[in-house]
Amino acid sequence: MTKIKTTGLLLGITGFCIPLFFSFSGLSLAGHLAMSIFLMAAVFWMFETIPIYSTSILVIFSQVLLLSTEGIIDYSGIAGYDPLPYTRFIGTLANPIIILFLGGFVLADASVKYDFDKNLTRILLSPFGNRTSTIILGLMAVTAVLSAFMSNTATTAMMITVIIPIIAKIDPGDPARIGIALSVPFAANIGGIATPIGTPPNAVVIAALNQQGLSVAFGSWMIYALPLAIVMLFVAWQVLLRLHPPATEFVSLDLDSKLQKSSHAILLYITFGITVLLWVTEGIHGIKSSIVALLPVVVLTLSSAFSKQDIRKLPWEVLWLIAGGIALGISMEATGLAGWLVGGIAWGNLSSLMVLVVFGAVALIMSNFLSNTVTASLLIPLALTLVTSGALEGVFGMLMVGLVIALSASFAMILPISTPPNAIAESTGVLKTKHMLLSGSIIGIIGLTLVLLLSVFYWPNVI
Amino acid sequence: MKNKIYIFVVEDEPEVLDAIVRDLEEFETTFPIEMADSAEEARELIDALINAGNEIGVILCDHVLPGQNGVDLMVEMQNDPKTSRARKVLITGQAGLDETVRAVNEADLQHYIAKPWEKSDLVEPTRKFMTDYVLKWANNPMEYMSVLDGQRIADYIRKGKGITDN
Repeated sequence: MTKIKTTGLLLGITGFCIPLFFSFSGLSLAGHLAMSIFLMAAVFWMFETIPIYSTSILVIFSQVLLLSTEGIIDYSGIAGYDPLPYTRFIGTLANPIIILFLGGFVLADASVKYDFDKNLTRILLSPFGNRTSTIILGLMAVTAVLSAFMSNTATTAMMITVIIPIIAKIDPGDPARIGIALSVPFAANIGGIATPIGTPPNAVVIAALNQQGLSVAFGSWMIYALPLAIVMLFVAWQVLLRLHPPATEFVSLDLDSKLQKSSHAILLYITFGITVLLWVTEGIHGIKSSIVALLPVVVLTLSSAFSKQDIRKLPWEVLWLIAGGIALGISMEATGLAGWLVGGIAWGNLSSLMVLVVFGAVALIMSNFLSNTVTASLLIPLALTLVTSGALEGVFGMLMVGLVIALSASFAMILPISTPPNAIAESTGVLKTKHMLLSGSIIGIIGLTLVLLLSVFYWPNVI
Repeated sequence: MKNKIYIFVVEDEPEVLDAIVRDLEEFETTFPIEMADSAEEARELIDALINAGNEIGVILCDHVLPGQNGVDLMVEMQNDPKTSRARKVLITGQAGLDETVRAVNEADLQHYIAKPWEKSDLVEPTRKFMTDYVLKWANNPMEYMSVLDGQRIADYIRKGKGITDN
């Protein structure tokens, strides 16, 4: 165990114990226990003492043990908390947003299985010609589109296989190599914001909003976030072109591709198309996106296009990670902990814009060093409670602060550890951390500014 | 000190050994190259490396050596669970058909390089086998993308192995 992990372990245990030994006035017994769980989870997530998905599982387990009707504490004679059945905590694993992600995972993994992602990339790239600067834009656009529906990491890895041969043909001294290597992870991070299934922080935020009785349709999310993704894609492209101006004007792309024609592959293309179509038109037909998400799971498994082995290879730990984040929010709200925590700050003195600035900036900074999902999981329960404290206005305020947290978390890309796509790009050896730090900081700051501008000028008109 | 994956070269002629190591220079910052001029010395060094927690990724071995020959050494390594993971390459001008067949059948020989060789004859197989090795055995193959076959390693991540969104 490394020093950092050991420190994390000790701090996590200490954090868990603090609320057991100190009594905070105004906080119920259950609130104290929820704080124990919160502190332990926050420390373990930050120090990665144990894998982050494992911390999520530990959160659910601790909640069942300490906060449920079936747990070890009898709350019947204790005021201030009406214990939840344990099914509320373990049920987060079948939360509608988890099922939505499951559908997305099946589509994405089936696409990889039939090389749909690779071949589609080559088809989509062909209109971008062979001028270096437009090729970079093309790479970014394709990456963003795919990462809106697939995992940012898998999309980046796939695009890296596309850009390695391009980079190899470019003179080693040409800054374009760095620009291209950065364009892919940045576009993947940005593309993830465009849809609810683009990246896990979106899931945590949407699930938390659902708990408040506020449902966010697939298409509505896209109306809020897609314009931002498009603008940020152009911003990132321009930033990279200016910081790393290509010396070679033209590069050749080798875009030989043939879509697979097996019946399974064709079934996948059709299922993919119909699912996405039903998702984005949720507002018209009213079928919930998580119900639509069952369609690819059913069709692809009953036809054996997606086999038992493929099911086993799905990234289940990501679903655990999201579920733990959702569960943490439930206990913080139900025990009154979230309200107690934000109650200590005089939010009333801050305008609602300032509240959004604070949460956006904190999310951006935190997720540069922590997992984006963890950042969203830790911040969203606090943010949503501000509505009850009056610092934000009702349903509208909740949605705004949720969007600000999710989107700002995705704009964190200054370091290789900020997101897995950044880590992959750095591993190619084409660029140095300083390059990522500079362009990532610029993009992060512009991104946060645009998010806040949207919250003033755009979202109020479309929500 | 982090444990390393080694490239191991066994060759008795100093000039030839030098030439091999020079050709493999580009791997050295990531994968240290260890050398021996006889099978006996090789075994000792390999034991020491493995006992210190290191691994042997690829062994490039001459056949005609003083004392025990190269094919025997590789068969022995193949039969020892501690070294059987290493990919085996024979570099020689003098292995007969029988010995080569034995190396293929009993030592799981991956590749045969005939002397004299071009640099790429040595570098490309080494890159391929080290990539095979890290994809199969390394905890985080991503670390090796810049020196090995980056496309293959990226494709491995694409297929959902190694890392996911977090």
